[in-house]
Amino acid sequence: MAKRVAMIAVAQNAGTESKDNFYDQAYRVTKEVLDKAGMTRDDIQTIVSASSDVFHGGISCANSYYWETTGAFLKNASRQDGESLFALFYGAMRIMTGHYDTALVISLCKGSENPPLDTCTLMYSDPFYFRNVGLTETLAAALQMRLYMEKYRISEEQCAKVAVKNLRNALGNPYAHKKGRFTVEDVINSERIADPLTEMQCAPKSEGMVATILVSEEKAKKYTNKPVWIKGFGSSIDSYGIGDRELLNGQLRQAAKRAYKMAGIKNPLEDIDMAEVTEPYAFQELLWCEDLGFCRKGQGGKMIDSGMTEKNGEMPVNPSGGVLANNPYVSRGLQRAVEAFLQIRGEAGERQVEKKVKTALAHGVHGFAGQCHAVAILGR
Amino acid sequence: MGRPVAIIGVGQTYHGRRMDVSYPELVREAVMAVFKDTGLTPDDIDGVVSGTMPSMMEGIALTHFYFADAMQAVGKPIMKTETCGSTGVSIAQTAYYWVSSGAADLVLAVGHEKMNEGNSQATMTTVAEPFYQRYFISGAPGVFSMQSQMWTARYGIPEEKTRDAAAFISVTHHDDAFDNPYAHIKLKVSMEDVKNSRIITYPVRLLDVCPNSDGACAVIFASEKMVKKLKKKPAWVRGVGYRGEEYFFGDSDKVVWEAAIQAAQQAYDQAGIRNPRKELDVAEVYNPFTFQEMLFYECFGFCELGESPDLVLKGTFTRKGELPCDPSGGTLCTNPIGATGLIRVAEAALQVTGKAGAHQIPGAKLALAHAMGGVDQFNGIMILGSEL
Repeated sequence: MAKRVAMIAVAQNAGTESKDNFYDQAYRVTKEVLDKAGMTRDDIQTIVSASSDVFHGGISCANSYYWETTGAFLKNASRQDGESLFALFYGAMRIMTGHYDTALVISLCKGSENPPLDTCTLMYSDPFYFRNVGLTETLAAALQMRLYMEKYRISEEQCAKVAVKNLRNALGNPYAHKKGRFTVEDVINSERIADPLTEMQCAPKSEGMVATILVSEEKAKKYTNKPVWIKGFGSSIDSYGIGDRELLNGQLRQAAKRAYKMAGIKNPLEDIDMAEVTEPYAFQELLWCEDLGFCRKGQGGKMIDSGMTEKNGEMPVNPSGGVLANNPYVSRGLQRAVEAFLQIRGEAGERQVEKKVKTALAHGVHGFAGQCHAVAILGR
Repeated sequence: MGRPVAIIGVGQTYHGRRMDVSYPELVREAVMAVFKDTGLTPDDIDGVVSGTMPSMMEGIALTHFYFADAMQAVGKPIMKTETCGSTGVSIAQTAYYWVSSGAADLVLAVGHEKMNEGNSQATMTTVAEPFYQRYFISGAPGVFSMQSQMWTARYGIPEEKTRDAAAFISVTHHDDAFDNPYAHIKLKVSMEDVKNSRIITYPVRLLDVCPNSDGACAVIFASEKMVKKLKKKPAWVRGVGYRGEEYFFGDSDKVVWEAAIQAAQQAYDQAGIRNPRKELDVAEVYNPFTFQEMLFYECFGFCELGESPDLVLKGTFTRKGELPCDPSGGTLCTNPIGATGLIRVAEAALQVTGKAGAHQIPGAKLALAHAMGGVDQFNGIMILGSEL
């Protein structure tokens, strides 16, 4: 049986523009997570980072640039490109092999220095067909949202409610980039970005250096009496062409199934206490919750109306404010895991949910209309 | 440590200037080749690791999206590993850790690059940050020329000797490439041809440098259970090493190059190798530049520091020598960067399973595969053996 892996400490910085440069920001978060774990660089045996090249960072081979600031000098380290939950998985795998007992996982993204998000996501488009029609993540999401509304009679108001909830939740999150008390009308009447998506239903472009330290079961006791275990993880990728896919029946079910199987979760609504999901577009939180098994297919609208996903509901979703409040593109998946960690430990401050959290879910997604999903289950 | 892992099949494209295929078609060619080699189908695969050079290279970001179908990865768990030039070995290592962790039994690793659709040197210039280094570190040859100069100056090696040794490496590797059906550059060259070829950045000349290639490579990693079940001849992963160092070029010693020395040492320790020149049967060293190849021989402990030009000229590292290096023709003759490190791993696997064809080193049982990347920063090593 594979070895168990625990998260023992986390650190992140605020999503608003920082006057620190990339190097300093990365260094501070690395130092903070080491201090919180009671470790020095010497205690870390391997490092896995997540980042993205040129279009999300301005420098090719991004890990060349920040190598030593993440403590990786003369260490065995590697990197995942594009989505940071994969770095968490890779760090965990390295420990599961028995080669390593300690790993630092860090994701780096300085949104304020990057071009607009969709300038970057346009570069996912192949140069022959999609790029010429200007296909971006926002455009793909708008098509997906229209389909979702028409097929399941989900209203614009129900989608907007996700933004209202998450931006209100973000009031309790000192790291959140966007926050506030807004009405459904505010959200719907904000600028139309790609019909039916409005500005407040699209995530901002934020800063985010996010880090955690993983240790093997043997070493966990040495460092903490409150380990958070990585109980399961799974991912899945869909076909590239959005016309080739069922946009309302994507790969999240597969990714979740794999993570649930590994974690021994049979009934997600009962076995999971709260979830942090990546919802770069408001309606996606509803769609993803369906795929995660929190409600039946097409019932996402009714779910948000019921208040079930509110901070003190039956299944709190994104009490941190989620990605609508804070969107350091590459780092957002790992940030979800960090928030889940804090909830499990009861250290989420003002955003701590009322119910006791024993098991939590973190979700990451990137690509057109959710081409690639990753799910992690964390627990006590 | 961990569960044992073996390579059970490899697939390569015919590398070169592949204007006959699109980038996804190129990827598909390698992936279909590994399925043909193993008799497996995409349904058998538990996970896929993908990787390439940065998005500037072909102007497409996060290529695992674009190639999901070509890699036969739809509906499967995926990882996207990137570490600049060492990407190929890092992909192999990701697949290794994935299987070794117990989270998968069969993992497909795919590396790819279509360099003729972009400008590789412009891309590599964007690896250097825009404030200080970008002004003088543009592209790869500048960095490696400086490293070569530091190396010869440190040991006081006569200029003529290093020139001759580098030319000898170029001649033998170009000859070797004729026996590798997948190699890109197939050119008969003489010592004089190399020494009289166009200067790129002193002392590096055109025939001291790798080409821009289009190519992809796919490798299947399997758990011990699957090796037994499928009855495939395995190339066991015996050692896995990786090290990286400072970003700013002047901050670390590139002659006694710790990233290379320690990466090799980590892999040797796992494989129980004490005397690499004696114990290894063949090495696939990442050699985009002839001069740098000699520096690697020294850092990997194939010879003493400063000794490599003498041994090269004696033929120690040729196909008939004591430790044959790059019998495939190596990176010098074929360099689709994101695939290159994985091609080194694939070639090492072919050698220890006796399937390397015309460039087989007879009786090879233990092989080293290597890749290097970043601003002369990263080194990754994988040791493969016919026995566990």
